[in-house]
Formats: sequence, structure tokens, C-alpha cells
Amino acid sequence: MESPEPKHASLAGLAIAFGRVSATAFGGGQMPAIRREVVRRNGWLDDEAFLEVLALAQLLPGSNPSNVAVLVGSRVAGLPGATVAFFATMLPGFAILMILGAFALDSHLPWMGGALRGCAAMAVGLTLANTIELTVKRINVVDIAIVLSVVIFVLVLHASLALTLAIFIPVALVLTRPKTNAE
Amino acid sequence: MTLGRLALVFTILSLLGFGGGNAIIPQMHADVVDQYHWITSAEFTRFFALGKLAPGPTTTMAALVGYAVSGLTGAIVATIAVFVPAAVVVYTAGHWWGKLRGNPWRERFARAIKPVVLGLLWAGVVTLARGATDAPITIGIAVVATIVMLRTDWNQAILVLAAGAFGAFVLH
Repeated sequence: MESPEPKHASLAGLAIAFGRVSATAFGGGQMPAIRREVVRRNGWLDDEAFLEVLALAQLLPGSNPSNVAVLVGSRVAGLPGATVAFFATMLPGFAILMILGAFALDSHLPWMGGALRGCAAMAVGLTLANTIELTVKRINVVDIAIVLSVVIFVLVLHASLALTLAIFIPVALVLTRPKTNAE
Repeated sequence: MTLGRLALVFTILSLLGFGGGNAIIPQMHADVVDQYHWITSAEFTRFFALGKLAPGPTTTMAALVGYAVSGLTGAIVATIAVFVPAAVVVYTAGHWWGKLRGNPWRERFARAIKPVVLGLLWAGVVTLARGATDAPITIGIAVVATIVMLRTDWNQAILVLAAGAFGAFVLH
């Protein structure tokens, strides 16, 4: 069954919607903001279609917000829509980061080094907390064994990302396959 | 020459970036710090922190790596290389995704990559920590950040800024 035909969107509308999220979603929480623009404010997709798009975005390589932008833009305005939504998601964050970077990294003010060390330590803690939360959701022997093997593979054996994915995705496909009745 | 290498490194990261961005952290560190020595480990974690501070995907930190390698041109090259290849894959996949609806392999793949990505995220946390938690005070900030994040919904950019203000007074 196909989802209802998505509404057509103007390129300017896409640029404004995705640009607004990218320029204002400081500190994470971009996905709820994108959903608000796409589903509630503009009605381009319904909730079910949006969840479908999000599932695909999470499955494929790339950051989730830019992937969702490409998929939504493509569904409501074809290749031009995908292109506009993609750049609208990338450009404001890029511009703000370059200004931040020029200010913080090229600075020779004595306190700036300390500020950056503080920011970096905080970012480590935020990422650790996020990873703990994701881990607690999947406490079972198979998942934890895969997680630990990947960690050892990457940190101790210094395996590349390509090799790690090439080995562990097939292994995980076998280990996490649905149980059949024929035991 | 260097620009070409920069583009190649981030293009590969883009195409292998399953799991929403942060799973490429260990490989990005291995490339830009350990192999090519474009930046130090401490700079890597600072760039990551600035990436968290700015709106938009944290992956935009690639721009700062590119900037360190060859200024604004490097920043643009790295940003395009880390985002566009994945976007092309996503655009192409979006067209035949509908046909895969209900295919059991889709669910199985989605299920299988989760623990693999989670392992990469843990390796990423260790990689970032090596460059940032170098003293009792920075370790303390990271521990407090972890506890606050697990217990509250406070905005991450505000927390990073608060730690920056604290560091400006205490850590120079």
C-alpha cells in the first residue's frame, strides 16, 4: 500500500523550512524540529510517511538531518527539491561553525584555550551519556557481545571502519536473525 | 595534492557513515590525526565540541579539519566531501525504497547494524576522551556532563557554552 501522494512544495518553501531548522536548532534536537516543519507547519508529509523517511535516513550512510532533507525534498519537489533542502540543511550550520572556528581557533586570547578545553570535556560527557542511553536499551547477550567485539576490533586491533563493517554486519545479520520454529 | 587527499578521506567517511554520523569518529581520528597529522588529538575533540555548539549536524566538524589543512577552500572541500556522496546514495535509494516495503531483509539489516554502530559509538567516546580528559578538572567536567545529561533534558549547546565559560576561568 502506498502512502497518500505527497503535497507539492515550492523550492523557496523547502529552503525556508530546512534553513530555519539548521540555523536555529542549537544543541541537538534537530529531528523534532524538522518533523514540526515538514508535518505540522507545511503538511508536506503525514506522520506515517515521515517515520518511513526517517527509518530510511537512519539505515543509510550520512547524518540523519541531511538524509531526511534529501528524502523529503525529493518526494515533494524532485531532484531540485532534494538539492535545495540538502543545502539549506548544511549551509547555515557550516557558516556558523566557520565563524565560531575563526573566532575560537585563531584567537590568541589566553582564556580561549581554557574555554575550548572546557567545551571539549563537556562534549565528551554528552556523547558518553548519549551512548550509555543507547546501550541500556539493548541489554542482551548477543548485542553486548557484538558491541564489545567491535570496540576491541577498532581500539585494540586498530581495524579500519571499512573492514569493521565488512566483518561485523554479516556476523550481526546471522546472530540477530529472527528465530524460526525449526530448532 | 593535500586537497585531493582531504576530499578522498572525507568521501570514504561519507560513504561508510552508517548510523547517523558519530560512528565515523574513530576512523576520522585515525585518518586526520594518526595517519596524516593534519591536527592533534586535542584539536580533534575541540572541533567536535564546536560542531556540537553550532546548529546543524555534528559531522560539519569536517569543515574545521579542512580549514586547518588549507583555509576556507579546505573547509568547503571537506564539507562537500563528507556530505554530498552520502546524499547521492540516499537520493538514489529513496527511489527504490518503496519497492522494498515489507521485504524482511530491510528489517533484518536495520536490526543488525544497531549493535555494530553502537560498538563504533563506544570506540568514538574513548577516542574523543583521549584528546580531552587530560587533567582532573577536565575529567570532572566530563563526569558531571554525563550525569547531568542522563538526568535532565537541558540543551546541549548551553551545557557546552557553560563548560567553556568555566574553562575560561579555571583552565588557562
